[in-house]
Amino acid sequence: MFGEHGIMSEVAPRGTSHSIELVLNGAQIRADVPADLLLIQLLRDHVGLTGTKNGCGVGVCGSCSVLVDGRLVSACLVPAVQLNGRNVMTIEGAIRVHPAAETVVAAFAASGGVQCGFCSPGQVMAALDFLDRYSTPDRATVLGEFDANLCRCTGYYSIIESVLEAAGRLADAP
Amino acid sequence: MTGPPFELRDAEIQPDARAKLTGEAVFTDDRFMPGVLWASVATSPVAYGRIESIDTSAAAAMPGVVMVATAAEIGRRRHGRRLADQPVLCWDRVLFIGDRTAVVVAETRAEAEAAAARIAVDITEEEPLLDLERVTAENAPILHPEAQSYRYSGGRRPEVPHPNVQGHATVGLGPDDIEAVFASAAHVFEEEYRTPATHAGYIEPRVCLAWNENGITRVATTNKGPFRLHQQLADTLDVDSDRLEVVSGHIGGDFGGKGQTIDEYLCVLLARSIGRPVKMAMTWAAELAQGPVRHSSLVRLRTGVTEDGRFIAHSATVLYGGGAYASAKPVPDLTLPGATSAMIAYHIPAVRIDARTLYTNSVPGGHVRAPGQSQVQFAGESHVDSIARRLGIDPYEIRTRNALGPGMRSASGLHIREPRAVEVLNAVRTVDRHPPADDGLVRGHGVALAARHVGGGEFPLRAVLSPDATFELVTGLPDQGAGAWMVMQRVFAAELSVDPERVSVRYVPTGETRPDRGIGSSRSTHLGSRAAQLLAGEVKSWLDARLAEGLELRADVFVRRDGTDSIPFAALVTADLVPDPVEFEVLYREEESEDEDHDFVALAVDVAVDERTGVVTVEQATLAVDVGAVINPTAHRGQLEGGFMFGLGEALMTQLRVRDGAVVEADRQLFRIPALADVVRLTIIELPTEVGPGAYGAKSVGELANPVVAPAIANALADATGVRVPRLPLDPESVFEALTARDGEVGARGQSGG
Repeated sequence: MFGEHGIMSEVAPRGTSHSIELVLNGAQIRADVPADLLLIQLLRDHVGLTGTKNGCGVGVCGSCSVLVDGRLVSACLVPAVQLNGRNVMTIEGAIRVHPAAETVVAAFAASGGVQCGFCSPGQVMAALDFLDRYSTPDRATVLGEFDANLCRCTGYYSIIESVLEAAGRLADAP
Repeated sequence: MTGPPFELRDAEIQPDARAKLTGEAVFTDDRFMPGVLWASVATSPVAYGRIESIDTSAAAAMPGVVMVATAAEIGRRRHGRRLADQPVLCWDRVLFIGDRTAVVVAETRAEAEAAAARIAVDITEEEPLLDLERVTAENAPILHPEAQSYRYSGGRRPEVPHPNVQGHATVGLGPDDIEAVFASAAHVFEEEYRTPATHAGYIEPRVCLAWNENGITRVATTNKGPFRLHQQLADTLDVDSDRLEVVSGHIGGDFGGKGQTIDEYLCVLLARSIGRPVKMAMTWAAELAQGPVRHSSLVRLRTGVTEDGRFIAHSATVLYGGGAYASAKPVPDLTLPGATSAMIAYHIPAVRIDARTLYTNSVPGGHVRAPGQSQVQFAGESHVDSIARRLGIDPYEIRTRNALGPGMRSASGLHIREPRAVEVLNAVRTVDRHPPADDGLVRGHGVALAARHVGGGEFPLRAVLSPDATFELVTGLPDQGAGAWMVMQRVFAAELSVDPERVSVRYVPTGETRPDRGIGSSRSTHLGSRAAQLLAGEVKSWLDARLAEGLELRADVFVRRDGTDSIPFAALVTADLVPDPVEFEVLYREEESEDEDHDFVALAVDVAVDERTGVVTVEQATLAVDVGAVINPTAHRGQLEGGFMFGLGEALMTQLRVRDGAVVEADRQLFRIPALADVVRLTIIELPTEVGPGAYGAKSVGELANPVVAPAIANALADATGVRVPRLPLDPESVFEALTARDGEVGARGQSGG
């Protein structure tokens, strides 16, 4: 899908643009980006990856969570130009290639960890990051360490259950 | 009777869960269009003033700018859900910091925002009206001198006692001379409580995208009441209703706040005038500064009590800060639905309530989860507790003595069907308290009791039966995550006795189905479930008329009454029976009734208070709810848990401080809502009944939990420290200040005594 979106020159009409190369969801892409273009704008407005949601815009809510070189990052805070040579994974890529993504999604669905769904892709990305660091977390670890993403619907109870359920399913997986 | 193919008590999985979690679900901001332009507004930096001139020349010269417009170009237009008092763009005066003065359309969002910042508006500042107690004072400026000319939808606007009063609601019960009743009381307690403005705090900011298609202007929106918005757009913009369509769908959180959206008027107007798609999005800062927000409140309560703690007379004066415009209020009297419910769970023979929403030069007030009620519930339930403590009566005991029972009239003026105040109280009363610890913290226990109405009205629903034996329910009701689509799907499937997987829900825009009022007022479960029941009845009759006699549907299978034969649903409902899709349509209308349906709720909390810092920690919470029949167990639990944490936020941290008319949190990004680390241990006790107005006795749940949280915590804080903090939030600063005042008093007394 990135073939049609991969050339970025037309989205950098003014100011100085920088040529960057990155791996986005497993595909090598090249882009010419202005210095003030944020990763979230690159993803949503130019590549069309709208699973990364635009929430608070100031790095508080976590709805735009993506993985950069495997680390959880708020895409609204990162200038795209900084991604030269990096590996970026969004929810769309995770669902295709991340070995734990389907399990995490299924656990959130089963545990009611999704209501309006706006924060949900970010929660899944955060869960993938968290479960990578804590493969057998207990409730206290989730309460203490899974704290990057705001949700206004669930009160978090079902999100805590979802993360624990996902950990359990991943541990049980052959 | 046909048996259900599944039990409603079985936990459901939201059909859209996967699409939402994987990012495939399309929200309004995810819609892009070729050639789309962005619009951005210039807003007033002044709380109150006269517009002398607007200079758009610098903005117009900025790169990428396609159009700059003021009221001179778009016309003097006002919008509002009931009273159209808010200008789309201001022309003669500005009434709050954030009032809109001009709009810029540009090729990109950044260009539009940069140009909007170059709009120069010359405003002569005037002294803003900010103090709720000054609003009707003799020298107060009249903020809307031409209010008589404002459009009011649905009849005549009720009279108001003063032009700065938006709306006025009263309750009067008992003898004419209530003062005589007060005089006969053993004790009269008078208190005052305040709550701040807050924001609903949905994660998805409001967004819209308008475009022209076949002579119709369509607008995709985060608004949860698309049919109402459609009508408001037609009325405000003088556009033929047939030339408009409103497209909603998935909404990223609502909590009442998304009933009012304000960009759509400009967006539609600009798309029509320029002939290209136009998109607008609010930043989080704009959300907080431009509202609508939860109304701030000042509540004065006075209660006459007998020696044994019975309430015999009660009066309440409720002032809500409505801000510059009443435009976000849908209620006919322009007050708030919960305005008179401070003592709703009690019977008091003599009552006078006077509740007013007031114009001020501040951010407009609107609906946020249990609008009006959560403010007065904090006041009322703190007041009851305060009376109990001062009389030395147990807080549970005083509530039980005064609780609304069958046949009694609530102090809110209502007759409530089968009140269950005592049941919910008893359910939390018997729970074990949190054990104390030797950690230097002081501990206390608090309880709060309330009731919340179940909304009603009418609701259309359509079903399409296809030759492949599947049903599609067609609705114009958006999905904001609370589960209304699942309510319809599961009840329809249960009534027909088919597998729920056979039933999907399709959202359609305003042009494609009959109007409904949208999500809100705790009515969707009631209306959606009953409409689904009615619709399933239509389908059943249709099938009965076409199938061999004696067949009945059971668990997705047609069974002969003598048990000799069974045929899968999909084997009978084929292209032979249904060569073309068949449509069914119903309009459910709530039956008129003398009694109102309410859910009762009680919350008990145990808190620990660090007196050195003022930090209040909730150690455990128990919520008892009078739930009616539960249709979506997972979503139902989610509403209670989410509502509890929503209330916890408003109790302890969430606030918008307005200083000199400016929202402090909007400038500084200080607005706080609970994070996962704030979660506290919560036990939910459900007390089901079959008396709700929804299918099987279903009631509402979405606005039930949050109003009791703040008073329960305030009461536990008073129990722990002896200090009553009469304002929200109970953040460390406020609590510490109150503790310091207490210790000062003790110290002063100690000195004078010694």
